[in-house]
Amino acid sequence: MGEPDRIPDTPILDRQRQLRGYRMNKMAMGLGDPVNREAFKADEPAYLDRFGLSEEEKTAVLTRNWKEMIRLGGNLFFVLKITAVDPIRITEIGAHQVDMDHESFLRDRLGKKV
Amino acid sequence: MARLVGGMGTSHVPSIGVALDKGLRDTPEWKPFFDGYVPAQEWVKEHKPDVAVVVFNDHYNAMFLDRVPTFGVGCAEEYQIVDEGWGPRAIPSFTGHSAFSWHLVDSLVENHFDPEIIQEIKVDHGLQVPLELFWGKPEQEWPVKVVPIFVNVLQYPIPLPARLYDLGKQLGRAIESYDSDEKFVVLGTGGLSHQLQGARAGFTNPPADRQFLIDIAQNPDKLAGWSREQYVETFGGEGAELIMWLVMRGALSPDVVARFSHYFVPASMTGAGMIVLENA
Repeated sequence: MGEPDRIPDTPILDRQRQLRGYRMNKMAMGLGDPVNREAFKADEPAYLDRFGLSEEEKTAVLTRNWKEMIRLGGNLFFVLKITAVDPIRITEIGAHQVDMDHESFLRDRLGKKV
Repeated sequence: MARLVGGMGTSHVPSIGVALDKGLRDTPEWKPFFDGYVPAQEWVKEHKPDVAVVVFNDHYNAMFLDRVPTFGVGCAEEYQIVDEGWGPRAIPSFTGHSAFSWHLVDSLVENHFDPEIIQEIKVDHGLQVPLELFWGKPEQEWPVKVVPIFVNVLQYPIPLPARLYDLGKQLGRAIESYDSDEKFVVLGTGGLSHQLQGARAGFTNPPADRQFLIDIAQNPDKLAGWSREQYVETFGGEGAELIMWLVMRGALSPDVVARFSHYFVPASMTGAGMIVLENA
């Protein structure tokens, strides 16, 4: 992203970010349809190509690099649908974004007893 | 005329629905959270509202970025359960109240609010979870009709908190001017503090959440006067959605009584709050 977040470390879906992430978000939105979920499972690169993702965006999705997906304008509510096809907990996505292991994230950020 | 018997606020975290689906209600992790709603469920059984106006946001399940209404009013007779990626949840679809919805749209437009009029849409956890929390998960059909008010709280520019408070005031007038014997409640949903994205992911702010539960009853003008940035800073990137509670609060009288409130943290990654208000 060009400009820094207006509130530090807090990516909100502003004009710049939603424009940047539009294709990735549209791709993920498609996973609300069971036919597309099957297509994603069967040939993920081909499914991503249908939505015109760049190589950088494809790599972020294919490697499940959540931090990078968000950096590229992906919005959590969209990319979360990937976890319906390839399960991972939302708290693991959180931990990944802040470079913490899951247990430390639960304990230090969310105050859970682990 | 119709009567507004109460305003309710609650979080609408999707994990709450998942916990119910998986039968986790009475597990050590979830029981303290769900037990907090028992008095509110008894209040609902006692007052038996006929209609629930539910102020919430779609989480990009029924709407995409191609068209983003700042406000939308559901005018359908039925709202089916949307597929959020895991298939539609096994809960009954919701019965709408088309006649009141059109009255509301007329009333809003005549008073300078211009919502999108929505006649076919499915609803996500943002509406489902609050109904399950206050009414319980029904076997056959929901015991209350719903009127969804959709608010864009995700793509900026989101509306000003003060604007939502004013929308609520107009909603209150629309209910009180509706020619019917029905009893209404308004539900403000979302929040409280949470952030799901970025280096501040996992942020919660329990002291601010607890203060919000007091101020929403006693100092709504203060909360309506905050900037959007203050909400994002105080409650997190996604927690700022709790500005939707201001619609519920605006529908009520200036003076209210808080019947019940409850706070639990964290439900998934969220400070989860609930309140039931009645006009004083």
